[in-house]
Amino acid sequence: MREFKPQPALPAPIQNVGIIGWLRENLFPNIPNTIVSLVLLAFFVTVIPDLFDWLFFSADWIGASQEACTGEGACWVFVSAWMQQFIYGSYTDSEIWRVNVCLVTLGLVIAAPYMLPNELRNKIGLPLFLLFPFIGAAFLDGRLFGLEYVSTDYWGGFSLNIFLAAASIIIAFPLSFLWALGRRSDMPFVRSVCVVLIEFFRGVPVLALFFMGSVMLPLFFPEGTNVDKLLRVWIVLILFMSGYMAEVFRGGFQAIPQGQYEAADSLGLSYWQKTLLIILPQVIKVSMPNILATFIMLFKNTTFLLIIGIFEILSTTQTALTNSNWLEGHAAEGYLFVALVFWVCCFGMSMISANIERKLDTSHRS
Amino acid sequence: MSPEHIPKEAPRTKPRSFYNNPRNRALFYQLLLLLGLAYFFYSIVSNALANMEARGIKSGFDFLFTASGFDILMTLIPYDATSTYGRTFVVGLLNTILVSIIGIVLATIVGFIMGVAYFSRNWLIKRLSIVYVETFRNIPLLLQVFFWYFAVLAALPGAKDSISIGESIFLNVRGLFYPSVEEQSGANIVYASVVLAFIVIFLLRKWARKRQDETGQQFPILSTSLGILFALPLLTLFIMGVPFYLDYPLLGRFNISGGTSIIPELMALVVALTVYTGAFIAEAVRAGVQSVAHGQTEAARSLGLSERRIMSLIIVPQAMRVIVPLLNSEYQSLVKNSTLATAIGYPDLFTVFVGTSLNQTGQAIEIVFMTMAVYFVINMTISFIMNRFNDSVALVERK
Repeated sequence: MREFKPQPALPAPIQNVGIIGWLRENLFPNIPNTIVSLVLLAFFVTVIPDLFDWLFFSADWIGASQEACTGEGACWVFVSAWMQQFIYGSYTDSEIWRVNVCLVTLGLVIAAPYMLPNELRNKIGLPLFLLFPFIGAAFLDGRLFGLEYVSTDYWGGFSLNIFLAAASIIIAFPLSFLWALGRRSDMPFVRSVCVVLIEFFRGVPVLALFFMGSVMLPLFFPEGTNVDKLLRVWIVLILFMSGYMAEVFRGGFQAIPQGQYEAADSLGLSYWQKTLLIILPQVIKVSMPNILATFIMLFKNTTFLLIIGIFEILSTTQTALTNSNWLEGHAAEGYLFVALVFWVCCFGMSMISANIERKLDTSHRS
Repeated sequence: MSPEHIPKEAPRTKPRSFYNNPRNRALFYQLLLLLGLAYFFYSIVSNALANMEARGIKSGFDFLFTASGFDILMTLIPYDATSTYGRTFVVGLLNTILVSIIGIVLATIVGFIMGVAYFSRNWLIKRLSIVYVETFRNIPLLLQVFFWYFAVLAALPGAKDSISIGESIFLNVRGLFYPSVEEQSGANIVYASVVLAFIVIFLLRKWARKRQDETGQQFPILSTSLGILFALPLLTLFIMGVPFYLDYPLLGRFNISGGTSIIPELMALVVALTVYTGAFIAEAVRAGVQSVAHGQTEAARSLGLSERRIMSLIIVPQAMRVIVPLLNSEYQSLVKNSTLATAIGYPDLFTVFVGTSLNQTGQAIEIVFMTMAVYFVINMTISFIMNRFNDSVALVERK
């Protein structure tokens, strides 16, 4: 009786593995797909070389004025010449370090909870976080610290977008949490006030809110008081953000099991102990991805401030485009630069958000 | 154990204090809030009245009946400088509704195509969908509006060297010009036939459903409906001798006459809104389809359904439960975002009312509140319609 000797396995057919296999599987699996793939490939082949040529190879990179733009491609000189304006607006040259300090501090304040040891986190990290908007604004203004006074008329550029967005969401945190608590309250009057507040700020276009801040709010202050325009806008941003965040928190509250409340009650905790020590940490945890998504929306919406005459980055770009020394049409370069800046920030944040979501996902789904 | 060993509740030494009674506390807090709010509103109203008097601003809605004195770039109803502010409001409102409807329809189409493209077997199509969503979702909408308006449409040739398709559609820096359909006598009968076709289809569907319930026999409802929808109006059209003619735009020396045109402001706004919202809708569609458990597909396959029927009968109805609420909020934000028209001068409600009219009359409070109310009502309407739609796709649980 012959012993069974297994033959060595045959190699996979050449058309099913390697590059050919991948191409067959992913680009040309059947006739309609093949046609679509070919059309798309043809499109890329015709467009991409020209695009790269315009973007990089024929572009002008070095120079300081429009005369340097001689090539056929993009004129990046436009962007580099206006770079300081794009980032800092018209902020006094010698004081720009203050803006930088502010941005770095913002980064530190956000990173602090991750770096500080547990016991210091709530005692130092949290107050710093909540106080940052006020200290930062006072520092940029300068008068309180005995520094040179820089009027808010000169604040601008991308740093203003970042500062406004961050300062608004930080203050909106406690405010929206209160609104969300009010919306869940047993007291009918408190509940209805909160519902009206939340639905008002969510249901109205943010642009109308900005107009309300710039043309209507001055009418509401006592005669003679002159409230800074940027401050009014900031208030509007905070309220707008609070409306959206309150709904995010409401979703978070709904995700907390009833047992958590009951357990806290049976331990004899007071309402605020229960809310702040038991419920809030869990709510923040489950709503973190949505909070970031809301923040991204707010951050993109800071460009709307252009319409009421705040010199944020897009507004600065429009000014640069109509500057008499740069009239040869650099709209595409300017907008691409701003788009890139925003894209990097927003895409980065949505990556972080996805990451947190994965990390926090301690649910028992397997 | 005898009952007397059960410790009795300690007798209250004093009745529960008035302050610790939760009912009283709730009343107290609400009273406090009410007083605070009353003071807040009293102070802003009295401040506003004092300020308006000091600045000589009139109040009330009388301005709605006075002549506005400015012209509007694009109007759907007749309008000129002698028309009232009330009419300005209506013109703006109609323009807002126009851009919202076009935007919603186009964004839904783009969004669904791109959302489904994510699940394509084709690597290129899948990448294209991902790149589209991630690019346009993360760039501010206002920037996109500016890009289309100032960088793309402004770079189009002038009227003289218009890009033309078959000498009937022209695209230039002043907008898109295309032939308009003008009606002649008898056109109304054609319109009536379209309505009739819809009524017939509605009755047919009712009858077919009833027959299926009673006998179990299916009726090819989709193909019959489509047939009726096209055949009936076409038949009337030819019987009436085609009571329409096309008014072609004519290329003159400096401008284009005749036909209909779409102004570049509207084009830029619609393209930007479509592309931006489309990216969000694509994301919603992707989330919806992914929310359907894979077991559903496997179960359907094992029942022997074809891939197309799996999609239309199993996946889509379940995915819609996730997609519809998301669509609702995307549509609402599209309407709210259409206010960006004011940045490029498309005459929507915001531009003509909060922009021009407010500048001329100075009646900030009335105008801003009227505008807010309009957007509120539009969004409520969308929400109402989408909630109805949601009810029809929602999971019907066994009672």
